[in-house]
Amino acid sequence: MDPLQKIYRILLLIIISFIGWFTLPSFSPLILILIFSFLLTSIFLQPVDYIEGYVQSRVLGVIAVLGLSITIAVLFIGSFLTSLGIQIKTFSNKIQKDNYAIAVENLSAKIKSLLPEFFNNLIPESDKIILIAKNFMVNVFQNVLALLGSAGSLIFIAFMILVFTIILLIEYHDFKRSLVQFIPNKYLEIGLRTIYNIEQQISKYLRGQILAASSVAILSIIGLFILNKIGANITLVIFIGIIAGLANLIPMVGPFIGMIPAILIAIMNNIGNESALSHYIFNIVPSPFFIFDIILMFIIVQQIDNNFITPLVVGESVGLHPMVVMIVLIIGGTLIGPLGMLFAIPATGVLKVLFREIIFISKNSHLL
Amino acid sequence: MEALYKNFFRQKKKVDPVIKALEKIPIFEHLSEKELKNIVQLTHERDYKTDEYIFKKHAPAEGMYVILNGKIEIKDPESGSIFASLNSGDFFGELALLDEEPRSASAVCNEPSRLIGFFRSDLLTVIKRYPKLGNKVLLNLSRVLGERLRETNKNIIKSK
Repeated sequence: MDPLQKIYRILLLIIISFIGWFTLPSFSPLILILIFSFLLTSIFLQPVDYIEGYVQSRVLGVIAVLGLSITIAVLFIGSFLTSLGIQIKTFSNKIQKDNYAIAVENLSAKIKSLLPEFFNNLIPESDKIILIAKNFMVNVFQNVLALLGSAGSLIFIAFMILVFTIILLIEYHDFKRSLVQFIPNKYLEIGLRTIYNIEQQISKYLRGQILAASSVAILSIIGLFILNKIGANITLVIFIGIIAGLANLIPMVGPFIGMIPAILIAIMNNIGNESALSHYIFNIVPSPFFIFDIILMFIIVQQIDNNFITPLVVGESVGLHPMVVMIVLIIGGTLIGPLGMLFAIPATGVLKVLFREIIFISKNSHLL
Repeated sequence: MEALYKNFFRQKKKVDPVIKALEKIPIFEHLSEKELKNIVQLTHERDYKTDEYIFKKHAPAEGMYVILNGKIEIKDPESGSIFASLNSGDFFGELALLDEEPRSASAVCNEPSRLIGFFRSDLLTVIKRYPKLGNKVLLNLSRVLGERLRETNKNIIKSK
């Protein structure tokens, strides 16, 4: 290639990247809708194909699969919100009682006695703790209100995702066929092979992730039930388990996010309970409000998941190096936030397959 | 007026030329019209120019082709020997539906041709979406390959 032509191409690439970078924010809701719809299509495509094989109607297959999934999701979110409302009400009643201040003071004293002396200066006074707790609650309610405020656009986005998913599920095979028409004759077979491999990679990855998330959810629920047997007094066990399972979809950071609701609810339920405050894990390590029991339980669940379940159900589906996983997680998190972290790994998986196919094509290009 | 007539009165059924071509292929034998329509939805119609290669020897193989119209030559580019000259209604490359071996010969157009491509990914989709139809196609495919094997055996015995 002519060196001047090379420079022009590089310049063009830089200009396109700049335009893309600046216009991306205005297209981000649309991109988000498309990504979500595509992912949901990948998840539901196999069940829809399966049902279509038996009922001989694709539309009926889509209605059956999406109808069932939406019903389950609505029932889950509805009962979760109801239970959360009850939990918040119980906790706010507890806060209003006088002994709450004493309980916080006891907690502060207890923590101070457990920590080395030089740490004591770092622990705020009990009245400051109460102020922090109150501020925290105010923040939580403000965030909930802000979330409700943006519910309108959320509902619109969710509706658009649903519409796009229905269209993609019904028209998927025709849509793919019309895309294939644009592939030149020379690259037809190799193009079809690439599309098929990408589809397989995505569906394998998603199925594996759903199975791994379900296993983490079930194991966490069992673990929390066991903790309740020894007096942890954790409510919303099933929801915490499901949240832990969902959080597990984000590699590395997810497991820690999964612990947070369990710890918060354990503190909320046990505040003012003397025996929970002076609880010892295995009668050796102090674990106020069963916090370390919960952390230990989630670590055990993670170990079972990482060493037995994930290798079995996910296997080498994406096969990315841990370093690459961390880098793409950071990039995804910086660009789109938690959702970016969720999509970073499957997106990298797709890029990896694409890269592998490009290498395959370039190796075999003399044969085409 | 014509549009109105078309909408209100049943028209004579026009048979899709692709369905017509496919039902004559042993691999799609004994399939109902609906099953053939399901197959047609997954196939790829392509136009090729004279002297254009459909595939070359040693290239990665993905599936079979049915000639809708035109003339195709199957040949070995290294020795120059021509294995077969195929016309409308003939098919080739069906072995690639089952294995992932590279092509054993090249296929080139002798005149502008229109082909229907049916590839491994399409066969796998048929098996997944319409398991009964997938079984029928696989059975037909095995029958074709069995016949080929029997013929090869006969030729080996003859040559001995």
